[in-house]
Amino acid sequence: MKDDVCIRNLEKDFNGFKAVNNLSLRVKHGEIYGLLGPNGAGKTTAIRILCGLLRPSSGEAYVLGTKVPDPGVAQNIGYMPQELALYRNLTVHENLAFYGEVFGLSKRQIETREQALLKLVDLETSKNLLVDELSGGMQHRISLACTLLHEPQVLFLDEPTVGVDPDLRASFWRYFEELRDAGITMLITTHYMDEARHCDRIGFMRGGRLIAEGSARELLELTHTDSLEGAFLVYSRTEGLQ
Amino acid sequence: MNASRAFAVTKRVLRDLKNDRRQLALIFIAPLLVISIFGVAFTGSVKDVRVVVVNGDTGVGNSSLSDKIISNFDTSVLNVAYANSESDAVGQVQNGSASAAIVFPSHFTQSVVARASGQTSVAPANTTITLLADKSNPNVSDPIIATVNTAVAQTIQGLGRQAPASVDSSNAVYGANAQFIDFFAPGIICIAVWQLTTLLTLISFVGERTSGTLFRLLASPLKESELVVGYAVAFGIIGIAQSAVLLSAAVILFHVTIVGDVLLAFGVIALLAIVSEGLGIMLSSFARREAQAIQFLPIVVLPAFLLSGVFWPIQAIPEWLRPVSYVLPTTYAVEAVRSVILRGWGLDKIYPDVIALLIFAGVFLVLATILLRRRE
Repeated sequence: MKDDVCIRNLEKDFNGFKAVNNLSLRVKHGEIYGLLGPNGAGKTTAIRILCGLLRPSSGEAYVLGTKVPDPGVAQNIGYMPQELALYRNLTVHENLAFYGEVFGLSKRQIETREQALLKLVDLETSKNLLVDELSGGMQHRISLACTLLHEPQVLFLDEPTVGVDPDLRASFWRYFEELRDAGITMLITTHYMDEARHCDRIGFMRGGRLIAEGSARELLELTHTDSLEGAFLVYSRTEGLQ
Repeated sequence: MNASRAFAVTKRVLRDLKNDRRQLALIFIAPLLVISIFGVAFTGSVKDVRVVVVNGDTGVGNSSLSDKIISNFDTSVLNVAYANSESDAVGQVQNGSASAAIVFPSHFTQSVVARASGQTSVAPANTTITLLADKSNPNVSDPIIATVNTAVAQTIQGLGRQAPASVDSSNAVYGANAQFIDFFAPGIICIAVWQLTTLLTLISFVGERTSGTLFRLLASPLKESELVVGYAVAFGIIGIAQSAVLLSAAVILFHVTIVGDVLLAFGVIALLAIVSEGLGIMLSSFARREAQAIQFLPIVVLPAFLLSGVFWPIQAIPEWLRPVSYVLPTTYAVEAVRSVILRGWGLDKIYPDVIALLIFAGVFLVLATILLRRRE
């Protein structure tokens, strides 16, 4: 199966600080890849490079076979930044309509997809509320809806479940699995180790490097631990010893 | 450049404004307040200034020239009181209860008549009215001097004597009946649009950066240039709306005269708003938070306020400072809008200012786009 995302020896240097250090990884088509690691591990930087927001210092990154940054890729990717990226003075509908127009959707397309997405995130009744009036969890769901509106083939979700209550987290992961089953590729960063078991493959990141990679089961077996957090700590210690 | 994507940005900015009452108030009510305050403060002429007259003039027969002059004083400006001695009058000026002492010499009428009939032996002191004013505030002392001079001239004329030479300034090339507010109102409108547009773009763009929306947009097919142009159109529209409100207020509240084509003036102001928008976006890339953005405000506002000819012409600014005036976009906007509104000039006459603004707009928008496109 072809790789929708491919990173080779990627490095990103911010004034002498290596945020991403010799990172290589591949995300297969229709796969959920979880990038796990503590704050400052370089996950967000890696995602921003893939979305064309940052230029790599060295190495290469490809999305859907195109070397990024490349404006041609934008139409096919969906990016959900950590900061939610919503206009607080606009209503839910106005936010969705704006992002839809930016992606060149017709009014009718926006309407149909908006209806389906609001149903998916269970916010059909909030369409005309200002984003500012919504709870944090509701804002997260709208942010996800904005990311999905143009039906991207690859999703880059940066900490989509931070500050989200457990119920909503569970339903987020249900959406993600549904989307995967519909053939959408996803690269998700999180520092909630536990929820990464929903991912098909997991990469542990620390200090800008990939320190281990595999399915949740493989990582648990190899480290003889019963939680991904435990597995991460094992790899983190070995990495520290090297 | 995809026009529909740029237009989506324009709609977004305008909707944002529509939903945020505080921003709307900032855009419309704040400048209205400013123009009202300036209008009230600067249109009020000096009134009811207390002066003390010491009239030692004995007159000739029944007639006294000094009484005629005093009766010709504009009583809306001067509130006349009398004293018996010069020292008493000056004392009142010294203690602040009066603004000037006006002293007529004892043989004033007699000496003036003698001199008028050709007698050269009359001592000049006997025909001189002494005006001892508190000149520490020229805004008060100048009108006193002018009023007394006018009264003297009127009195002499009333006697049927013509001055050997005279000036007639009753006809004007431009600005007949213009008050000071007619001069500065166009400037205030330009400065209000300049300041608020820069501030709003600056804050909106810092917001786009901190809320992550800018990341989402830059990861979408929207091009940086489309974002900049979309914002420019929105703020051009807002600038026109603002200036329409301000100009209406100036006309209704302060009877500001409009001679020229209002639409042309609005066009110039929209262009200035676009220049300001470009500046706001550029400045936003140097601020990480809104609080940092606000710190740029004095740099944006003060030079424009003082050096672009709003209250006094560029020619009155020291020569070494003038280059600063010429690099301020507001200098050209103020000049163009004032010429249109007050002198009735058309595009054929204000085109140099319009070209200057177009160059500013072009350079600022391109720089704003480049700064947005810059990737670390």
